Amino acid sequence: MSTAAAQIAPIPEQSGPGVPRPPLELSDVSVMIGGQGGDGTLTVSDLLGRYFRKRGLYVYLSRNVLSRIRGGHADASVRASRDPLHAVKSHVDVLVAFDNEAVELGKAELSPHGFILYDSTTFHIAEPHSAGFPFATMVGGPLGQPIFKNTAAYGALSVLFGFDPAQTRGVIEERFKRRGGDALEKNLKALEIGRKAALSMPGVENRYSVVSGDAHNMILTTGNQAVALGFVVGGGRFFAGYPITPATEVMEYLQRYLPPFGGVVRQAEDELAAINMVIGASYAGARAMTSTSGPGLSLMTEGLSHAGTAELPIVVADCQRVGPSTGQPTRHEQSDLSHLANLGHGEYPRFILAPSDPVDCFELTVEALNLAERWRVPVILLLDQALSQNTTTSPRFDLSKVHLDRGKRLTPEATTKLQQYKIYELTSDGVSPYAPPGTPGVWAEVTGNEHDEWGHVSVNPANRLKMMRKRMEKMVLARSELPPCRVFGPPDAKVAIIGFGSTSGPILEAQRILEHRGVPTRYLQVRTVFPVPVHEIDPFLKEVDSAYIVEHNYTGQLARLLRETMPWHHAKLHSVLKYDGHTFRAPQIVSEVKGAK
Amino acid sequence: MVQSAKPVQPIWCPGCGDFGVLAAVKRAAAELKIPTHDFVLVGGIGCSGSIHNFLEVNGIHALHGRLLAQAVGVKLANPSLTVVAAGGDGDGYAIGMGHFIHAFKKNVSILYIVMNNETYGLTKGQPSPTSQLGFEGNVEPPFHSILTALSIPAPNFIARTFSGDPKGMTAILTEAIRFNKEGRGFAFVEDLSPCVTYNDTYKIWREKVIDVATLPGYDPTDRKVMFRLCLEATESGRIPIGVMHRPEVVGRDGLEVKLVGDGPGPVRSDIELESNLPAYHKLLSGLA
Repeated sequence: MSTAAAQIAPIPEQSGPGVPRPPLELSDVSVMIGGQGGDGTLTVSDLLGRYFRKRGLYVYLSRNVLSRIRGGHADASVRASRDPLHAVKSHVDVLVAFDNEAVELGKAELSPHGFILYDSTTFHIAEPHSAGFPFATMVGGPLGQPIFKNTAAYGALSVLFGFDPAQTRGVIEERFKRRGGDALEKNLKALEIGRKAALSMPGVENRYSVVSGDAHNMILTTGNQAVALGFVVGGGRFFAGYPITPATEVMEYLQRYLPPFGGVVRQAEDELAAINMVIGASYAGARAMTSTSGPGLSLMTEGLSHAGTAELPIVVADCQRVGPSTGQPTRHEQSDLSHLANLGHGEYPRFILAPSDPVDCFELTVEALNLAERWRVPVILLLDQALSQNTTTSPRFDLSKVHLDRGKRLTPEATTKLQQYKIYELTSDGVSPYAPPGTPGVWAEVTGNEHDEWGHVSVNPANRLKMMRKRMEKMVLARSELPPCRVFGPPDAKVAIIGFGSTSGPILEAQRILEHRGVPTRYLQVRTVFPVPVHEIDPFLKEVDSAYIVEHNYTGQLARLLRETMPWHHAKLHSVLKYDGHTFRAPQIVSEVKGAK
Repeated sequence: MVQSAKPVQPIWCPGCGDFGVLAAVKRAAAELKIPTHDFVLVGGIGCSGSIHNFLEVNGIHALHGRLLAQAVGVKLANPSLTVVAAGGDGDGYAIGMGHFIHAFKKNVSILYIVMNNETYGLTKGQPSPTSQLGFEGNVEPPFHSILTALSIPAPNFIARTFSGDPKGMTAILTEAIRFNKEGRGFAFVEDLSPCVTYNDTYKIWREKVIDVATLPGYDPTDRKVMFRLCLEATESGRIPIGVMHRPEVVGRDGLEVKLVGDGPGPVRSDIELESNLPAYHKLLSGLA
């Protein structure tokens, strides 16, 4: 097995084009494709991703786009590796550039053995390790449209990497056969044009070779898709949302998935309407969810407080992006945590679950629906842009792990056997049995006002105390049922790393590098970020000398929560922060750990 | 019989127009023989929004301005329920205006009753969106809900009632709920409901109201005609009441009535894992 550490070890200087030498074998390869929006950079990354998957490799596709439909710089990255991965590689091995800006922006990330392949139709560069082809002109003549330059670039890449020609072609057939018309034929021609050009340029053919892997029978998916699928199998049947990057795909997938199961998906006029429609559906007895990002979350805050006191189970997926305000809508951050932990006016219980990869997204969405109904509280699923939108190789979602817990939901039969039905009945676990409207014989009286057990408005101080405790104690009583932390690494390691969400990918990779450098670490992935699982984190911290808390924000929001709940560990905690809109790369985490050089 | 939440005594001032609405809703539900457990009253915030506490029905007390969104959620989740949202003019035309306009467009078969008293009564008499120029503290001209409603091209039922005319109100609310039950779409009824404490308008409204059906050319299937009649009546200082829009099944607007509730709805859909497993497997095996 190769390790991540091996790939970042120094590599001897390569000679320039024209000098024959054996191909450089890569077991972890990264290709960045840059150009103007509309140049087809995403097509190239998609084609490469398909090829690497055919070779049994794990792939991770990320994109860097501006918040506009067309134009402006856009780039896409493909990483492929024999080992599982959920992060961007530290360096780019091959840069594909459709304009000079892509070269200027990408050059800094190029590894010492890297190579630039560019479309020389409108510009030339003087880099030593590069090859330019006028792709746009080359395809424009025979195919009538310069847009096929992206497929020609894929053809040239296939030569550069020594791809198997039949499988290279297979990818094009797979991608374009359903397009109809002459799309397939033209793309196959463009592929050949690109291949021939690259073969005719000395020093390009077989410059690299990419290993094969055994990651077969896997799927390619995103966190947002996994949330949508988890919602369906978790019995979710009502979704209302308002478009917002990077959360919109949850709604779009559900518009496809939910109607065949009798579910309803509605796009609302704003986030206020979205969450209140979800509250109405929950009251009616449906498992209901909405998804949003920072600014939308602010509007939903009013509704979350309402659901909290009315004890209506709802799920809100927050796909975090760079804030505050409109911030950087297409960029990555984890800066909503403090807001969520203190979310809303007044005090009410809430659970915040933070998945790390698509399988975790799928499973925790089911869990969120169960916990919401079991405890009759709002549950927040905390994602981040990279987890929501980056595409990654993932094991198939496992239905055998899915179970439904409807808590104290009453059937009509059970309801008729009751002497009395108090919708806010005081019970030992704070959860009252619930019969939705439409249940013969009883009425569901629900309110956001403080209320007595019957659901009638009450300002009685003794009742207020009882009702506050009923609700708030759920956060303590539910503790053992909330998704537990995961720990990775040797149990005797004295250095710890703590994180949540998509940082799991680069942290796991950093752990391998650190181990290689003689610094064994234990990584604690926090999956229930609120209420803080002190019962898990406190014993964990007692066993280590220091802990690095890795997160994407300025103020160290997770670190603050840990310090607030476990002040006695204060001196051990060190923050590793990044808030430039890009995700961590493993070496950036490694360099923050003391003793790792 | 299982004992559950019982109605409580209204908190309204004696003589409040809202009593008329309470009585009319009760009579309409009885006339249409709607089982009380299938009837959901969604209350807004303000005096009027407490109406759900005073009836033997399911009640959800919504956030200020958000009752329509919650009511739409209830109905979409369980189309077999009869859903009535009821609130005040501040709730509907100020903080809830976005949802108000979109409710016509969404055209989900619920009834929305706005009890308009032209003031914020519960917070002690501040001007509301419908307050007249001259009302203490008001510097803006009043908002006209009926004209706005008529301007939105959707096949909705639109009417205005007056608490001083309980018989007329009962007839209209009954018709509106029947319209919903037939799945014909959204129904909006504004009730002129005087606030006896901060804006006692019984006398002046009794003089000003005029039944639109008595106006020459009255045709509630024709939005254009009704807009003109209501605008002219308003401009001449009258307050039109009655049915302002009663669309044909496929309206003259050419807009088809979108029926909600063809299926069992989300609440009645089977969510059990076992029975859905083959379909779930199929859904997941589609991923590559």
